[in-house]
Amino acid sequence: MNIWNISLQNIKSKPLYTFLSVFIASLSIALLLGTQQLKRSFENQIENNLGKIDVVVGAKGSPLQLVLASVLHLDNPTGNISYKEALKISKNPLIKSAVPISYGDNYKGYRIVGTTHEYPTLYSAELQKGHRVENAMEVILGNSVAQKLNLKIGDTLLSAHGLVENSIEVHDLLLTVVGILKPTQKVIDRLILTNLESIWNLHDHEGHNDIKSIDEKEITSLLIRFKSPRGLLTFPRRINERTNMQAALPKYELHKLYEYTSVGFKTISLIAYLILVISCITLFISLYKMVKERAFDLAILRTYGASNFQLIKMVFYEGFIVVFSSFLLGFLLLKIGLRFALYFMKSNNQQNILTALSFQDVLQIAMLILIMVIISVSFAIYPIIKMDVSKILSNEK
Amino acid sequence: MIQTENLTYQYKKGTAIFSFPNITLEKGENLLILGASGIGKTTLLHLLAGLLKPVTGKIYINEVALNSLKNNKLDTFRGENIGLVFQKKHAIQSLNVFDNLKARLLFSNALVTDKKIEIVLAQLGLSELKRNKVSELSEGQLQRLGIALSVIHNPQVILADEPTSSLDDKNCKIVIKLLKNQAKQTNANLIVITHDHRIKACFQNSITL
Repeated sequence: MNIWNISLQNIKSKPLYTFLSVFIASLSIALLLGTQQLKRSFENQIENNLGKIDVVVGAKGSPLQLVLASVLHLDNPTGNISYKEALKISKNPLIKSAVPISYGDNYKGYRIVGTTHEYPTLYSAELQKGHRVENAMEVILGNSVAQKLNLKIGDTLLSAHGLVENSIEVHDLLLTVVGILKPTQKVIDRLILTNLESIWNLHDHEGHNDIKSIDEKEITSLLIRFKSPRGLLTFPRRINERTNMQAALPKYELHKLYEYTSVGFKTISLIAYLILVISCITLFISLYKMVKERAFDLAILRTYGASNFQLIKMVFYEGFIVVFSSFLLGFLLLKIGLRFALYFMKSNNQQNILTALSFQDVLQIAMLILIMVIISVSFAIYPIIKMDVSKILSNEK
Repeated sequence: MIQTENLTYQYKKGTAIFSFPNITLEKGENLLILGASGIGKTTLLHLLAGLLKPVTGKIYINEVALNSLKNNKLDTFRGENIGLVFQKKHAIQSLNVFDNLKARLLFSNALVTDKKIEIVLAQLGLSELKRNKVSELSEGQLQRLGIALSVIHNPQVILADEPTSSLDDKNCKIVIKLLKNQAKQTNANLIVITHDHRIKACFQNSITL
């Protein structure tokens, strides 16, 4: 028997109040942790998917669209650029690597991207099985593509025109799977990679039958990595001013995007904090009520030799037990809630990779909750400090 | 042993001043304090328990002056040396019978084994009920639990406030007998305050306020 034990028994003896307090508190904790985790995951996804790309060069248009289309593969491209022009700017001495990409087809909603062997290195992606694309009409698959579509090496697929799944405009040239990449948790996981020739072949075949000369060949964009950050200063401006192409900085554009979306996160966080305040009040009420209702019990404990401080400790423990179980339940709710949310939102093009909450994030929220217990308890113990044992005992009838 | 000198108490400035006769009890002696309602019986009991501070006068329990003890020391002294029996409510509602007795011992340094608890429960006919909630006990059983709680830590003084007023004649006799027995076992002073004249015959020493 100790003070913890008495607190525990006290809590057990009022299950409805306890349930209510724990429920509300755990809800707000789950919401707080959840928004934090989603925010972190979102930031992390963006950060991850930038890979090693410093600048994207593509057709003129919205720079954000260009980044979304060519880096995150979420939007349609702004247009095409001349392959010859692209090769020309690739020779700039500031550039460490320039990876051309060309896309416009999909297989069951997964984009088919024509590129070079350098593309996987931007995301540090390595082959899990098979070999690189050596010839036209060979493809390697991102890990999620292989998983979701259950494709193996040697399988063949027919690409469809456009970036959305459809069965009407299907090309009649077969693509053969020759390799599968290891999972990277990055955008490359949901892409189908081939070489530029394959893409050109597919489209030449559709339109005019003669092979285009290099002057006529087009790509969608060029992903550029500089040798030093110095390139960022002059290169994009030169492209934007002197050519009919544009250079977009993924980091900058995505940061802007993040600024827009953070309003939503802020609102949810605000609601979570509001619920936290409400749960703080609920906790206070339930503790205060306990102190008031059990005035006689507390007075008896004083006659047993308990000091005021020990009674305060008892109330604090009660608050702590409630909040600690709320924290655990909140965590559980979060895990289950996120799983459900992801399950229902799952679409092929969406990436549902959650970043685990850092210890720091959890600690921050835990501290907040601790402060909340301390505040509720300090108000709730007021009657104890003011307690007149003699008066309570003589009013026992 | 217990000794008081010129005790007076006043609840608020301007209200009536209670003054109490001096009491001297040797070890093991019992005392019945009779008086009508409102005469200050409970006030005297709470003064003796150190729950109220007298305006004037001194209280000695086993030669320790209660006035000289401050805050936590007074709480601990009370927890170790005094056992209180109340009229109706006796125990903590959320705990069962056995845990109530454990809780009684929590704040004192008294070394009491679980076996001792079992013995006291058996003496008071509560063995069967030790895992029951307090709310499941009858009034007579509650009163017996109250006695158990007041003696379990081997106190120097047992103070009972109207322990019999809500009991019928039969239970009234039993309770007084149990209280006296328990006091005798630990050689404690038993002081009972009451307006219940039924129990006057049970005590050799009595004063009327």
